[in-house]
Amino acid sequence: MSAKFFVVVGAAILLIAAVLYSLSDSKDYRSLNAKLTAAQIMHNPQRPLSTFSLSDHNGDVFNNNSLMGDWSLVLFIYTHCPDVCPTELANMAMLKAQLENKRSATIPKVIAITFDPLRDTPKVLKTYVAHFDKAFIGVSGDTQQIDQLVKDLGAYYERVIYDEAGKPITLKKHEPLPKDAIEKGYVINHTARVYLMSPDGQVLAGFPTPHKVDDMANDIELLIKAFEE
Amino acid sequence: MLNNIKKILFILVAFVSITTNAASHAHQNNHENHQITITDSWVRSAPINAPALGLFMGISNNTDQEVRLISAYTKGYKRIELHRTIDSNGVMKMVKQAFMPIPAHAKLHLKPGSWHIMLIGPEQVPSEGEQVSVNLKFNDGSTQTIQALVRKGRVMMKHHSMH
Repeated sequence: MSAKFFVVVGAAILLIAAVLYSLSDSKDYRSLNAKLTAAQIMHNPQRPLSTFSLSDHNGDVFNNNSLMGDWSLVLFIYTHCPDVCPTELANMAMLKAQLENKRSATIPKVIAITFDPLRDTPKVLKTYVAHFDKAFIGVSGDTQQIDQLVKDLGAYYERVIYDEAGKPITLKKHEPLPKDAIEKGYVINHTARVYLMSPDGQVLAGFPTPHKVDDMANDIELLIKAFEE
Repeated sequence: MLNNIKKILFILVAFVSITTNAASHAHQNNHENHQITITDSWVRSAPINAPALGLFMGISNNTDQEVRLISAYTKGYKRIELHRTIDSNGVMKMVKQAFMPIPAHAKLHLKPGSWHIMLIGPEQVPSEGEQVSVNLKFNDGSTQTIQALVRKGRVMMKHHSMH
């Protein structure tokens, strides 16, 4: 047998060992998918969240550490949204009430991160988010940092302006807004997934639309139980 | 005798006046077009600094032809637009509409996650329980003024679908 053969076999053994090690280092939650009615497992230890630093609605730092130690539900919003975002925030308030009614041992914090930090300052978010529940946390900050978090969580948004004839124009990702965009207004097309973050500061599951709070509450209890077992 | 004539004349004038008013009122009602009926109009209660509010309702078209809602007006807002939320592979798109079509003998539901009227730039966000007077204009030339109640959308959202 040639030396080349031993090198190939050795490399293959090392690769298998590395895969087995990575799998043994974490739980596999995919088996839960059959029991879940609203959530989809997103847990992936190979792809942890990037390091980020934003501001909460009180102006305090909101970073990776802010997601650690407690369960959280993270969603992206913007306050100029008249339909989807207020619906989502109202749903989160209903979900929290549902978990309280079920006497769930763990009620996740709700964190609403803006897609639109230009208009949604921490001060704006504080007034806006508190309308739905005083304990909800609004988060704003640097666009690039938000964009990184959006990418990490598989979310998406695009800004849309209207020309003089009323025709919609979708701006490219890093295209600056026209000077009169604030005055004339712009809307944001966006995904509306809600993310369940575990106390290690990583995403465990995502809830696509439509959000049925009864199903979400049941799944959250299942996911927390599986994580803590 | 003269008094009797006066009485008869008075009764005749009163009768003509009443019937004329009634006819005029009926005519106005026709002009307002009760072939289009609006039900359960409401504005979603919003934070005091909300830059935009959603107005929802049911619009029934009881005629044999499609009618279109072409505009809505209420004072105290910078702009009012007709919109529809469309779920495009999980991306919720807010699409401005030139009009809202209501097919013949059908009802269009304006509801969260679907068709809605967007009230942009309120001078003051109305409080829960308030009534907002809104004038609706249709393509058949008719108009309707409705009183939309400001309330939470929870009842509607229990069965809410994004489609």
